[in-house]
Amino acid sequence: MQGFRKHMRYISFFMALLMAAVTVGAAPAAAGVVGTGELLTEQRVELDRQALLDMLEREEVKAKLADMGVTQEQVEQRIQNLTPTELASFEQQLAEAPVGEDVVGIIVLFLLVFIITDMLCATNIFSFINCIR
Amino acid sequence: MLRTASLVLAVLLAGCATQPQWPAVAVGDANVRLDRSVRLDRSVQLDQVPFHPQERYQCGPASLAMMLNSRGMNRNPDDLKELVYLPGRQGSLQVELVAAARSHDLLVYPLDGTLETLLTEVAAGNPVLVMQNLRLSWWPQWHFAVVIGFDADDRRIILHTDTREAHRETVEVFMATWSRAGNWAVVMMPPDEVPATAKPVDYLMAASDLESTNRFDAANQAYQTAEQVWPDQPAAVLGQGNIAYSRQDWAAASRHYQRLTDRFPDVAAGWNNLAHALAHQGCGVSARDAAACAAQLNPDRFGSTPDLAAAPASESCPVIRCPVPAAD
Repeated sequence: MQGFRKHMRYISFFMALLMAAVTVGAAPAAAGVVGTGELLTEQRVELDRQALLDMLEREEVKAKLADMGVTQEQVEQRIQNLTPTELASFEQQLAEAPVGEDVVGIIVLFLLVFIITDMLCATNIFSFINCIR
Repeated sequence: MLRTASLVLAVLLAGCATQPQWPAVAVGDANVRLDRSVRLDRSVQLDQVPFHPQERYQCGPASLAMMLNSRGMNRNPDDLKELVYLPGRQGSLQVELVAAARSHDLLVYPLDGTLETLLTEVAAGNPVLVMQNLRLSWWPQWHFAVVIGFDADDRRIILHTDTREAHRETVEVFMATWSRAGNWAVVMMPPDEVPATAKPVDYLMAASDLESTNRFDAANQAYQTAEQVWPDQPAAVLGQGNIAYSRQDWAAASRHYQRLTDRFPDVAAGWNNLAHALAHQGCGVSARDAAACAAQLNPDRFGSTPDLAAAPASESCPVIRCPVPAAD
């Protein structure tokens, strides 16, 4: 046990050195301080979310959602709860859409995917929809 | 028979080719110095972009040299070859061109890939570095060129490209080759200037790229520029504080962070960073108070009390007052 402890001390020392070296190399701002990029990434997520909410204001989208029997408020609430990853995947789908393609279709498709997977209880992103099971 | 066939073929091909729409009016924020009403349905050619003919496969160094020259930097393609040319690949990578520009203290701002934005930047006097794929998507021939002008009447894009100076390319050819390269385009700005089409968060991202590659003077200048153009952006102030912090200028860092918490009391990061700077200054009590403000605003991120060095208190320490939480 004693020997193991002694060993650990060397390993810890080495790890501490290694981590210090890695930290100094990778992050210009010292540990504990929030980096500028981190704040910007958060802001970008909020911008994406707002862009998605703005799209809901379009008449065609409203009509499509009404057809599907989902109210705008419900969808808005869902968008507020989307994670950064989900938002990013949506942004990417929009970006990859050919110019001039029906944006409404993509928005509705995106929402549909989440709503349907939710109805099947594959995810619990859309908690406002009751599970089929 | 042959004539009928070729006619059918011509009709089919015409059906495939999309006609790019020539934009009429410049895009951009009203708060950027370019006038919103700048017309794009005219002809523009930037004279301050010198031309370097490329040597074999070396469009990267040549294009970068032209971009740097246009900003008054005296570099030629031979100097830059070492920086950005990969002999094994017979070419240059985008990231290398971007990194090399940053190492010259230029802010590299990626454009959104639309023709409108591209033309707006050129009209505002900023040459644009573009990537093209001159062959097919499945058999690419990548190429870098510099857009220096356009002519709306003739529907031409004017480029310094390969060995041709001010080559006038039809917009159809340009759009086809550009879109096969993902519409990649960047402008390279001195850090005291903002691209005509810049959006605040994107510009600040580009500035923070300068910061994270340790170009502190340029990054600081860019943050100051951003703070002037977009006073509502907390990251512009945070960035200046973070640079001072990296330089271990605790007093300056504290001043910036305090400016941030005064103007944007809801940004928890400001209080957190202020706490760290104050601790280094020897203001243990103020530091703990500031850390508590950060924890109050965002318990998940700043809930655990940081281990702040408790140095002897000095008299010049500020009194910290947390923002009163807004009622929902």
